[in-house]
Amino acid sequence: MDKLKIVLFMCNWGPHAAYQALQDSGADIPAEVRMIRIPCTGRMSKALLFRAFEMGADGVALVGCEPGTCRYGSGTAVAEGNVEDTRGILDLLGLGGDRLRLAMFLPEESQPLLAFLQDFYKVIETIGKSPVSIPPREAPPAVTREMVSQLLTTHDIYACQDCGKCSSACPVTLAGKPFSPRAMANAIIGGSVAAPEVVNDVWSCLTCGLCYDRCPSAVDFPDFIRDMRHIQKVCGRTGHEAHGGFFQSLMRTMTSPDLKIRHWQWLPEDIQTDPQSKTLFFGGCAPYFDTYFKSHLGVQTSGILVDSLRLLNFFDIYPAILSGERCCGHDLLWSGDQENFRRLAQLNVEAIEAAGVEEVVTACPECYRTLSHDYPEQGIELKFKVTHIYDLAEREIDKGAIGFEKLDRNLTFQDPCRLSRLEGRPDLPRKLLHRLQPESFTEMKDRGISALCCGNCAWTGCDSYTKTLQVKRLRQARETGSNMLVTACPKCQIHLRCAMEDPFLGDEIKMEIMDLTTVLAKTIRWE
Amino acid sequence: MSSTLPSNLHKEILITGFGGQGIVLAGQIVGKASSLLDHNESTLTQSYGPESRGGYCSAQVIISEKTIHYPYVRHPDILVCMSQGGFDKYGASIKADGTLILDQDLVKVEEVKCGDIFAIPATRIAEELGRKMMANIVMLGFFTAITGAVSLEATRATVADSVPKGTEALNLSAFNKGYDFGLATLKGRRKKAAGKKGVGA
Repeated sequence: MDKLKIVLFMCNWGPHAAYQALQDSGADIPAEVRMIRIPCTGRMSKALLFRAFEMGADGVALVGCEPGTCRYGSGTAVAEGNVEDTRGILDLLGLGGDRLRLAMFLPEESQPLLAFLQDFYKVIETIGKSPVSIPPREAPPAVTREMVSQLLTTHDIYACQDCGKCSSACPVTLAGKPFSPRAMANAIIGGSVAAPEVVNDVWSCLTCGLCYDRCPSAVDFPDFIRDMRHIQKVCGRTGHEAHGGFFQSLMRTMTSPDLKIRHWQWLPEDIQTDPQSKTLFFGGCAPYFDTYFKSHLGVQTSGILVDSLRLLNFFDIYPAILSGERCCGHDLLWSGDQENFRRLAQLNVEAIEAAGVEEVVTACPECYRTLSHDYPEQGIELKFKVTHIYDLAEREIDKGAIGFEKLDRNLTFQDPCRLSRLEGRPDLPRKLLHRLQPESFTEMKDRGISALCCGNCAWTGCDSYTKTLQVKRLRQARETGSNMLVTACPKCQIHLRCAMEDPFLGDEIKMEIMDLTTVLAKTIRWE
Repeated sequence: MSSTLPSNLHKEILITGFGGQGIVLAGQIVGKASSLLDHNESTLTQSYGPESRGGYCSAQVIISEKTIHYPYVRHPDILVCMSQGGFDKYGASIKADGTLILDQDLVKVEEVKCGDIFAIPATRIAEELGRKMMANIVMLGFFTAITGAVSLEATRATVADSVPKGTEALNLSAFNKGYDFGLATLKGRRKKAAGKKGVGA
């Protein structure tokens, strides 16, 4: 067996003195422990903690100062939150939260520190090596003219007439950012691929697809941007990932085939599933989102999965679920990592086909788009059908004898770009919305295929401009006079909730948010 | 085909509606399906006349395992009403444990003594499918699902056989729509009886 790899992140201030005392006295610190000095445990974000596991660590210990002795005041409290959330993620991944530990020591507590390290080593020894294995990356080649010109040809970027319709529609441009799809396209055609403004633009795009909808020459900017990001990534550049790249790191980790993921362990007991079923419910990453944002936004997107399953049960459908379900890979694909996207896709398709499934049902517009459209496009063939739960619900409700209870809310609707624009199906959620019995349903100014993005996509490029865009969108929602914003994508909900936290705008942009699946499940009735 | 049908089958069926709704055709299909494909006896008596200019009209169908001696229906086991006039005239004649089937948009029921009432917006569904005149076929699908008096396969085959050439697919989709609506209605009643109205816990 390979030697265990245990990383010890050690705060510079309190416990480091204790550690030095141990080193000076030649104490028996397990040889597998590698110490890394850090300025404060509070600066170890979830992304950094998790990155160690992605890179193959078997255990990570974060050692800081006792509460109250933190030099910066709040460091220890922040670290506690980060460690708790990251442990939750490790549990979902099946790695085990016990692989990550937080401890605090005063400078004179060298013996307790030694005892802690020896005990932690034993714990990790019992759990064993981490199943995470990610093939090493090849040395990055330089961006060549050929790579770029091939992309320009494939996506027919030369068809751009420089008319400016894209920039006049682009929500990022309208939010005030010096950004323009056509200017970027022309700069790339002109050969400045590596210019900082171009790189910046490539990562600023939301890939929402509004420009493609407006383009008279049908230049598919989102797909072009996606592939430009791929070139940037292949050539070893970093992107503008939000949250320190946590989610991309999480998805890359999921490409390890030996990981025993426990995606559904939290499911309430009243949900009925059937492992023999020919229908599979593909949940998506909501449990990870909820764990990650737990102490921040109180996000509860797993509720969408529970309500989807309850809805299926209501229709007498008892689907199979994959306990080892992995991310569909949408965010990796759209942040330029095609290699790992394909690995995830392959693992998912193999698992689904091994379960003998004929139809995959999903409630996430990104999973829907990725499974049904991007998997085949990227060369991964499917032997099963992919159905959005709205299609299934519409089909079942249309059979009759199903009605909806009154809902004392005034509704408006945030279109998910993957379903409404990229898949061109804005009518699908609306069919269901019109079946509901709310006080009123009022559309926002920008809606359907022209809807405004929730502000971010694929966990990249979050900045003050995207925030401006979110505020603008929430103002539109409030202008309808509605008091509940219905969403159809867990990420729309996360992003818009985040914007609502703005302390300066306060109640101006706050409103209740609920996913359409949840609204359906709450009010659907047999008649 | 008749294996799923109730034994000792004897059903007196009265289908009523406006002239022009295809009431008699619906009656014909039920009788034909039952006799030719389910291998029962059946009779059809139809009443029309001045009614065929928009008043009520009716088809009286009896299906039975045994020989039928008298072809008129006085007290139907199953009363299908596709017009208010039809219900007003025949509503009171239904048996105390009979099944009343209505087009819910066309017939309003105040009070009636019968076993069970089922309703479907048959005309609306037919309109949504593109042809209002298929309301009778939608109703037939619903009737088949609710009563089980004729088998699904027999009725479906007879529908395909009886409608004008070239409209078979459309009529069958109308039939299936009605049939699905019937199954959903029954399922909804079962769920409600089991105390389950909405979703989940």
